[in-house]
Amino acid sequence: MNFIKTLIQNLVSGPSTVSYPFGPAWTPDNFRGRIDFKLASCTACRACEQVCAPGAIRFDKTPEGLRFMMWHNTCVFCGLCEHYCPTDAIRQTTDWHMAHPVKDEFGMAIRETIVYVNCTGCNAKTLSSAPNPVGVEPPFTPEEIEQQRNLCPACRKKALAERGAVS
Amino acid sequence: MSLKQFISDQSRRMAARSPWIYRINAGSCNGCDVECATTALIPRYDVERLGCQYCGSPRHADIVLVTGPLTARVKDSVLRVFDEVPDPKVTVAVGVCPISGGIFRDGYAVLAPLSKYIPVDVNVPGCAPRPQAIIEGIAQAIEIWRQRL
Repeated sequence: MNFIKTLIQNLVSGPSTVSYPFGPAWTPDNFRGRIDFKLASCTACRACEQVCAPGAIRFDKTPEGLRFMMWHNTCVFCGLCEHYCPTDAIRQTTDWHMAHPVKDEFGMAIRETIVYVNCTGCNAKTLSSAPNPVGVEPPFTPEEIEQQRNLCPACRKKALAERGAVS
Repeated sequence: MSLKQFISDQSRRMAARSPWIYRINAGSCNGCDVECATTALIPRYDVERLGCQYCGSPRHADIVLVTGPLTARVKDSVLRVFDEVPDPKVTVAVGVCPISGGIFRDGYAVLAPLSKYIPVDVNVPGCAPRPQAIIEGIAQAIEIWRQRL
């Protein structure tokens, strides 16, 4: 008579079908979904371009600066870019609602430019990227990051040495 | 209204509610095929709630799901089978491989993107897309299918 127990259980718990197109869908917290890029944290180290297996991430030099491009339609969601990013500039969200009509195909990309600025120390043209935090003790404060952003690589080294940071 | 006109209108109205799905494997690694099968066969994701059913013959199909990066070896077969699907039809590219080539992009044996050879209507990126994402893509395809009828 076990089937009666199962029958009652099924009647109480309802169908196991997820309600998705007509209701919300459950997503795991660590789901590897759409890539998100935060321009303010990018150090322009290009590690993500190096490790991206399908070549979805590309950096191009433009007159305005270094342009970051990422195609969602080429990404295979392996998560290597997030793993190797020294800051939290590139990370994976849990968003998987990416089905789109073909007319939107070329909008499925991230295009951001790290602009050129003139170094406040020596007035040379330099990229306004965030400083690399690896090995910096004590960690950068937000003010220091903004200060370093407007320095060229040589002036950054000088500022780090004056700070007494181990690099 | 003639009888022929009446039957034509009625069949069009009914067909809009139950598009049949056909699956073409264009050299896929089987990951997306497993997800497509999951979408249809497992009660948990049940795509038949949308009125869809997988069919075995391309001649019965309305919506075509294509998986895989269109390898050089299957290209002719895929194009032949695709031509057998009667018009109007809606094509859904499942996974990143048919959309851009994904991990196989620029490979010597891979002819991706699929849209160079076949008119694609809906893209479902993912490697592989989760079943809910495929259902989302099929739902968009059904909207296009209703407009085309």
